[in-house]
Amino acid sequence: MTRNFSAWPIYALLGILSAPLAVMYLFLVIDTFTNAPPGSLIPNEFTFHHWRFLWDASVTGDVWGPTATTFLFATTMVVIVLAVSSTAGYAISRLNLPFRRFFLSGIMVMHAFPSVTLIIGVFLVLQFAGLYNTLIGVILVKASLMLPFGVWIMKGFYDQVPWEIEMAGVQDGASRFTVWRRLILPQVTPGLLSLGIFAFIDGWSEFMLPRILAPSANFQVLSTYLNVVSDPNSTTYNFNLFKSVGLFYTLPILVLFAVFQNRLMNIFGGGTKG
Amino acid sequence: MRTRTSLLGLGFVSPALALLFAFFLMPVVLTTVFAFTNMSTATGITGGSHVITGNLLRDLGNAGIDNDVITALGEASFSVTSETLAAAADAGVEPRFLGEIEARLMGQNFEDARSFESALKSLPSRPTRIRELKLATEPFERSILNTRYASRADMEAAITSMAPDAPAETISTIAEASYTGWRWIDGGNFQTLLDRPETIRIVLNTVFYVAATLAFNVFVGLFLAITTFYLPKTGAGFFSVLWLLPRITPVVLYAVMWKWFTWDNGFLYVIAEQLGLPAFNYMKGSVPTAWATIILVNGFVGASFGMILFSGALRAIPIQQLWASEVDGASRWQQIRQIILPQLRWPILFVTSYQTLSLLSSYEQIWLTTNGGPGSTTTVWALEAFNTALNNYTGNLEYGMGAAMALILVAVGLVLSILYLRMFRFDELVNKPRIEF
Amino acid sequence: MTILKTTKLLATTAMLLSGTMLAAQAEDYTITVWAGGTGDTSNYRYDNIVMAADILEREAAIRGEELNITVETQAWSGWDDFKQAVTLAAEAGNAPNIIISGHEDIGPWSQSGLLRPVEDYVDFDAWPLNAIYPNLYDITSYDGVVWGIPQDAESRPFFYSRANLKAIGWTDADIEALPGKVASGEYTLYNMIDDAKKMQDAGVVEAGKGFVPRPSNGPDYWQFYISFGGEMVDAETGKLVLDKQAMTDMFQFFVDAADAGVVPATHLGSTWDAFHEAVANDQAGFWHAGTWTVSEWQTKWGLEDFFGQMQYSLIPAGNENGKANTISHPLVYLLSNAGTDDDAAISAELISIASEPRFNALHAVKSGKVALSDAQASIPLFANDRWAGIATTELLPHATAIPNDVEFGPYWTAMFKNLEASWTGTVSVEDAVNALEAEVTSALGDKIIVR
Repeated sequence: MTRNFSAWPIYALLGILSAPLAVMYLFLVIDTFTNAPPGSLIPNEFTFHHWRFLWDASVTGDVWGPTATTFLFATTMVVIVLAVSSTAGYAISRLNLPFRRFFLSGIMVMHAFPSVTLIIGVFLVLQFAGLYNTLIGVILVKASLMLPFGVWIMKGFYDQVPWEIEMAGVQDGASRFTVWRRLILPQVTPGLLSLGIFAFIDGWSEFMLPRILAPSANFQVLSTYLNVVSDPNSTTYNFNLFKSVGLFYTLPILVLFAVFQNRLMNIFGGGTKG
Repeated sequence: MRTRTSLLGLGFVSPALALLFAFFLMPVVLTTVFAFTNMSTATGITGGSHVITGNLLRDLGNAGIDNDVITALGEASFSVTSETLAAAADAGVEPRFLGEIEARLMGQNFEDARSFESALKSLPSRPTRIRELKLATEPFERSILNTRYASRADMEAAITSMAPDAPAETISTIAEASYTGWRWIDGGNFQTLLDRPETIRIVLNTVFYVAATLAFNVFVGLFLAITTFYLPKTGAGFFSVLWLLPRITPVVLYAVMWKWFTWDNGFLYVIAEQLGLPAFNYMKGSVPTAWATIILVNGFVGASFGMILFSGALRAIPIQQLWASEVDGASRWQQIRQIILPQLRWPILFVTSYQTLSLLSSYEQIWLTTNGGPGSTTTVWALEAFNTALNNYTGNLEYGMGAAMALILVAVGLVLSILYLRMFRFDELVNKPRIEF
Repeated sequence: MTILKTTKLLATTAMLLSGTMLAAQAEDYTITVWAGGTGDTSNYRYDNIVMAADILEREAAIRGEELNITVETQAWSGWDDFKQAVTLAAEAGNAPNIIISGHEDIGPWSQSGLLRPVEDYVDFDAWPLNAIYPNLYDITSYDGVVWGIPQDAESRPFFYSRANLKAIGWTDADIEALPGKVASGEYTLYNMIDDAKKMQDAGVVEAGKGFVPRPSNGPDYWQFYISFGGEMVDAETGKLVLDKQAMTDMFQFFVDAADAGVVPATHLGSTWDAFHEAVANDQAGFWHAGTWTVSEWQTKWGLEDFFGQMQYSLIPAGNENGKANTISHPLVYLLSNAGTDDDAAISAELISIASEPRFNALHAVKSGKVALSDAQASIPLFANDRWAGIATTELLPHATAIPNDVEFGPYWTAMFKNLEASWTGTVSVEDAVNALEAEVTSALGDKIIVR
């Protein structure tokens, strides 16, 4: 960038503005390994005590079951989102459909309008389908809520694939399906990867849907687990413990974020090329 | 050129269509329907049955139904007659037990279940399990009180049998009133909302919440984008990652972190105490601090959205233009005002529109932090709709009212998004496919 | 002439037929139990059902039958989540067999057909159900039908910090005489505000900590309505009652308390932790809480000598219209419509056995609840617990309960919302009461009497 201005006033301003965030995340990590005397923030001892919930199920209950369920939840959802978005996105981008305009604007509207407020309706649909209080029911709902975003993103990626590739394939006599599978899909792999990671993070974090649509089932995901653990009225009331469980819960996301940061940067502002 | 519909295309969109139909369209339709009913836990969602209860008879009496009919319907007795014995035999009551009932209790009448049961208990062949004994009393019962009838016809038949002289009109009125399920109440829910003095407050809360958070998002997003634009790569990278963290942090953990930050003995509390400032639970302890918390909680999540979009737009500015302005002696401020901000006009408008919509319907963070308190001073529309429909202390969830509130939100959202679609030149996005078969 | 009752008779036939096969083969049952508002000290709510299942199996074995019961339990620490889960599960047709909830849910849940009347399944003339205080069955009845079996009961007394009272010049004798003065109406809520103010002025407690009411909505606030002469139900017509004068006085009381500075205007919505922390450590002057919180203060908040540190009484009267009182909010065992009639019959037997005084005593003593029967009060575990005894003999007789009316929910919600609104100073007391009146009359019509 331009080098004619000094950087330190900017650092100072940014530092002040970002201080709450920096403090919260710094202490999120520090507090899980240390204890501080009452009324102070500076830790005075190092300890693994707050991590004992990993091997001692008597602290907050078994944590590995919910972890496995969360993983299953997030990955299944990713598979559905990718499969459905990559086909629908292609159809909208390249194929001739009736009501294409209408469908696209519908997707835009749904994308812009998070439908959590429709949850009673969603509950009824699940109930009619016999999927209330089941993992697959929650997965389907979550995947569907992600679809407008997914389709929109994939359409954007397909739009950027040069028409010449497709033209060449079609002139060689391949069917549109084969062209899509052999020639186009490899072109949008980066898009699939970004969308997949984004959907995984979103699924991993989901709280409302499992909480409302599967309250009594025999499975628990980490978000509802953490919510129960960190109940202020519980006997385990201890922010260091809450944070340890929370950090454990968030670790996979942080790793994914660290590895795929640049891809995610693009998609976080995504669906917004207009 | 006339184009043909692509079969492959239909196949490709149908999974998406099916899911969106089931989990977007159907819920919207159902919400619309519910909004015009008095549906609640008490009425059930899927329909009710017909029951006459003591309270209902009292209400009917007040409503001017003939007292004789009320009395007849309220009667309850157990009588041992040849008819009831035959009914009991049909129902499968054990013959020996039945024989003893006939021998010892024939012709007797009992005022209530308890006295009849204790009479039965004195019989030698009585069933050992209490439930069997109770079931055996039922064929002898002559009462329609508190009995659930699946259909209206059954109910009317039952009423006729208890009060044969009642006029058909009365029977119909009673059967209608005995329905336990939900009813259409036209615009009743909306009327109630209009009448409630509190509605206006929630609307104002919502407007304030959206406006303040939006302002935070846009200004901070703008500030972050511009400042990081001027920073060397590593510095810029650090801050953009830091500001993205709230976006990827699971909301439950994020709420916990804010509680630690603002609650008693939390970070701010300890700092304030050491500085001699008022230390209390900032999240819940006062209205201004509760609002500040909510706006920051949501603002820190949303600011990165603007930051990324604005940064993208900034990178599109030819760097030569900036150098040239510096050579001309422009200050940083002039550079920002004259070159950078004009470039960001559309992204700012976009972020504003997009986030207005998502803030309008967001309540997860508020629910997990202040939960609308203290009092209901930070309750916004979406949270109130959620609480009405699904989350309250009494076991009577008001689905109908909650749906009406959600419907209003859906309507506002639809209008806004259609408006935005026009504004952002939708046509350019829908370029026609170039290969057609 | 017999009345056609299709559903009932079908059930009868099925049940009686299955009854004949009972001895022939082993029976397996899975009974699900859900309990709401169940914290760490309340595990016997569902553990008692598990123990009851063991006993029922043994009883069957003695009769020569093989009965296998699997009890699946799930507990929620809060109420909102729990009630949402129960109602949605019931709509979806997979409600638990046994529900342990507040008695006020009986109204809406019975109307919706979610519940089976427990009176169709149990014998009130047999032990142990015939031992339970009859007035508790009034609380578990609605519309002339007994829907539930009382699981526990409590009262919600007023508490005083002895140390802080002494700090403003009270003698031990004064403190001992206090509960009597409260009961007779001599010591009122406004006396309490004055004394709380004194404590704050003397620097004994921090500003805003003189009087610490419950931080969230709960039955407790209706006690203050009664303290000012309010009535919740009209004895004659059975309809709900909004006594505007009493409601105004009660709203005004909290506004006055906030104006006097003894409680913050934004107190509602603060955390339970702050509440417990303050009251268990002599940082507050006056407060009210359920009898069970005493055990919570002891196990979690470091309270050691309850009787030495705190005094207790009924909720004082507010003015000459009202009287000192307390509200009991019994939890009840309810039978859901889930499963077969056999499942329900087994569930009912489990509930009956779990109502054994010894079982109820385990729960009552561990969680600080009162006795449901004389027999329970004489169980040594219970009899040796001084606080449990006091709560039963001194407080429970003065207890009223909130109504089971199906329409009570909107009234309950509207009352608290408007109390909050006036308390926080957002609207005047007069406007708040008028708003409350407008809300309940528009929601309930003539089902509520406004005085």
